Amino acid sequence: MGQQIESALRQSMHRVLVVLVSFLPGVLVFLLAVILLTALGLLLAAMARRLLTAARFDERLAANETAGSPASFSDWSPSHSPTLLVSRAVLWVCILAGVAIGISAFDASYSTNSQLSQFLLPYLTHVLGAVLLLFFGGLLARFLSRTVLIGAVNAQLQYARFLSLGVKWLVLVLTAAMALDHLQIGGTIVELAFGILFGGIVLTLALAIGLGSRDLVSRSIEKNIDKPAARPVDPSTFPESSETPRPKLRHF
Amino acid sequence: MASAFPERAVLIAVVENSGTTSQAESNDSIRMVAYPATAHGQAGWVLTASDYLGASQLALEHGAEATLVLGAEAVSLSTEALQGLAGTVLRGGADLAIPRYKTGPRDALVSSALLYPLTRALFGASIHLPLPLDAAFSARMAKRLASTARRPDNTTDSEPLLWPVSEAVIASFAVRETEAGKRTLPQPLDTDLNSLLTEVVGSLFSDIELKASFWQRARVAVPAKPAAEPDSSTGQAEGTVDVRYMVEGFRNAYTNLQEIWSLVLPPQSLLGLKKVSRVPAEDFEVPPDLWARTVYDFVLAYHLRTINRGHLLGALTPLYLAWVASHLRRSAGDDALAASHVEETAAAFVTEKPYIVARWRWPDRFNP
Repeated sequence: MGQQIESALRQSMHRVLVVLVSFLPGVLVFLLAVILLTALGLLLAAMARRLLTAARFDERLAANETAGSPASFSDWSPSHSPTLLVSRAVLWVCILAGVAIGISAFDASYSTNSQLSQFLLPYLTHVLGAVLLLFFGGLLARFLSRTVLIGAVNAQLQYARFLSLGVKWLVLVLTAAMALDHLQIGGTIVELAFGILFGGIVLTLALAIGLGSRDLVSRSIEKNIDKPAARPVDPSTFPESSETPRPKLRHF
Repeated sequence: MASAFPERAVLIAVVENSGTTSQAESNDSIRMVAYPATAHGQAGWVLTASDYLGASQLALEHGAEATLVLGAEAVSLSTEALQGLAGTVLRGGADLAIPRYKTGPRDALVSSALLYPLTRALFGASIHLPLPLDAAFSARMAKRLASTARRPDNTTDSEPLLWPVSEAVIASFAVRETEAGKRTLPQPLDTDLNSLLTEVVGSLFSDIELKASFWQRARVAVPAKPAAEPDSSTGQAEGTVDVRYMVEGFRNAYTNLQEIWSLVLPPQSLLGLKKVSRVPAEDFEVPPDLWARTVYDFVLAYHLRTINRGHLLGALTPLYLAWVASHLRRSAGDDALAASHVEETAAAFVTEKPYIVARWRWPDRFNP
């Protein structure tokens, strides 16, 4: 009985050691791949930074951006420096490549038949895609909400903040649904929830705008109805024919 | 033109296909040439970089001693105004002459609120219309303008603007302002104030950013200028503008735009704006020093790209309208009071100049 227990324990220990022996080189290879690629990434990032700084990349890019353009490159960059953004992108691409190579090497060196990388690698790319979706979705939500807020305030709409929040949450909900769908989490529940939420937000906004702008729209329609049909204006008679009951501001 | 310059050889350049060349009669002292319209077409309501480039190139080709560029509706200018402009360059020794028209309290508001005070404080040039409709300049100024106008400007989607006053000042050329009497002020075709303000103020902020090395070190002495003779024809007869609508707009902006303003303005300015927003419409006033510091903070945020530049300039619009409301209330339709308020604003910009100089150098320093 004792011998049998001892034998069973030895066999278990042996199996653990075998797994460990086959597992450790894989871990080592994984770490080596990540460390090497990270070092390479640091080197490449430093080179890219120096090269772009020498080429005055930030200044050139800033000169090419227009004032009214949508979210500019520098808005997305850390410390508003596109050079820093590029160098960091290079670094992270190398690190991610290192992780991918490490997982493949780990899988190859792992003696068991489990195809870990076949499951993990595609899922990692999905995770990366979801993170990128969330990142850009967040940026877009912030940009659009500010655009709507400023536009609505300058149009003197009282519910500007509400409108801006609505647009922000629309984009955020859409982004979150896309990210979850990308990760294949939730399945149809996410689609259903997204449809309900998105539709709810759109309906709320439509109702709010409709009710809030009722007077504005009626005034606009009345103005259009009252306005006579467009006719060619003779410049010589313009001052006499025009009605100027209110003093006009000339901003320029 | 013939009556304005009877004893001088004058070359008049007009846009091709405008029909003017065929109608006009040339004589011994006046010659007419045609030049092609710019690719962008003419903005019309203000002189643009391509206008200066075209005029400067023609002036250099023909060896002109002085160049007079006239904008839209220039027929409303008097002969004396034309003579004064050209004479300032030809006899007065100035390299750039900019006219000052008789304007009412509701005219040229962007110039009064922003363009004139900034140009006066940063470049030391007391020119009331730094974005002129007409201008006269010397041969060496023409060279300078031509080289500047050739530089690609990508800060705006529309036709690029050029700021001749700051160009002349950094080149150490003499700049003068001449009284030009009354003139019809052409208005932009685009009536959207936000887009126009973004275009014009964005261009000015870019110019300020470009010339930071000059105004950071220059200690400019700005001579006090008397207020222009008021234009009595646009006085109280037209009635006063109801500022309540603008004040309500500012209060709405204060409620909604705090998140964006707080990224640009220090707490002290935000507190100042809070106080302003609580004042009743009949006493509404944006103090000149608060306005000056606010504009300087926006200039700095434009330079640092604190937020998207389109958003930044959009967030300036309600503040500008608050200044307009304050200006209209202060002037109450009186031209002399309006002119005095403009000068007071410009003086505040001069007084607050150390603020922008310090913040430009050390933007991260604690600023209560």
